[in-house]
Amino acid sequence: MSENTAACHVTIAGKPFDLRRSDVLKALRNADPEPISSHFVVIGSSRFPPKQVIGEITGLDRADFTTHQARRTLLRLGFTAGRRGSSSRPALARAEAPDESLAERMRAFTGEWIAVRDDEILRASSTPQALVRWLGKHGQKADSVFRVPEDDLAASGLAPL
Amino acid sequence: MRFSFREIPDAGRATVRARPIVDVVVEGLDIAPQACLLDTGATAIRLGAHVAELCGINAGKSLETKLAVGGSLVTARMAVVSLQVTSPTDTHEWSAPVWFCEPWTPAFGLLGLTGFFDQFHITIAACEEWLELTPVNA
Repeated sequence: MSENTAACHVTIAGKPFDLRRSDVLKALRNADPEPISSHFVVIGSSRFPPKQVIGEITGLDRADFTTHQARRTLLRLGFTAGRRGSSSRPALARAEAPDESLAERMRAFTGEWIAVRDDEILRASSTPQALVRWLGKHGQKADSVFRVPEDDLAASGLAPL
Repeated sequence: MRFSFREIPDAGRATVRARPIVDVVVEGLDIAPQACLLDTGATAIRLGAHVAELCGINAGKSLETKLAVGGSLVTARMAVVSLQVTSPTDTHEWSAPVWFCEPWTPAFGLLGLTGFFDQFHITIAACEEWLELTPVNA
């Protein structure tokens, strides 16, 4: 079975579900990741709270299941899960590379607007307006907002030679 | 207030470059401080027009002009706004004229002479990758 066709039968909150990895990817493709408080799973290119993901794909009330149940289910579907550390773990990542410096992690967001807090990339968006909307909606406060430069011109503001 | 240079990846290359960048809160929008590059070649503070939109600043047409930024002409509108920089130990707030520019290609705001460099005694230690701002009225 290929990775994207992984499936599992689970019972959550007393209800049976047949879940497929591809369905999760599809359902979360345009979803807005909520802030990570502790546990996360990597879906596509972003980190999501496990309960947000299971809530989205099952329609269950999040109060009806635990983070542990959600995380275990998503692990069975082949998604990467992790726990946000107290120091330098990124809240958002395009690839799992927790030991990379913040600058190196920015590369995955070249040309996008990012919100940074401490050593974490909180969120990336194609526009600064969308980024600030997300910060406001989720009660988040960034230390810094900017676009990851896509070329020398963007990085310096200088005239091209 | 002392700040370490900000490491930013060099686009298209494997290298990382540390730059003299500070985060500036514009008009109290403290959930999204704007990363700004210290630019001794800029005569004034220049930000993207989107910053004015985000902060609800009405930069009037009466103060509109054309400026050269990044080798191209942009439309710039001026407004006097409140600005704030914060270090782990201190905060400084002041008011300054800011030119909000459109289109805006730089990845950061640009902090220039009027409104920024004339507000602080500034030390830039590129050899050690830090900068220090001391407000002139401190």
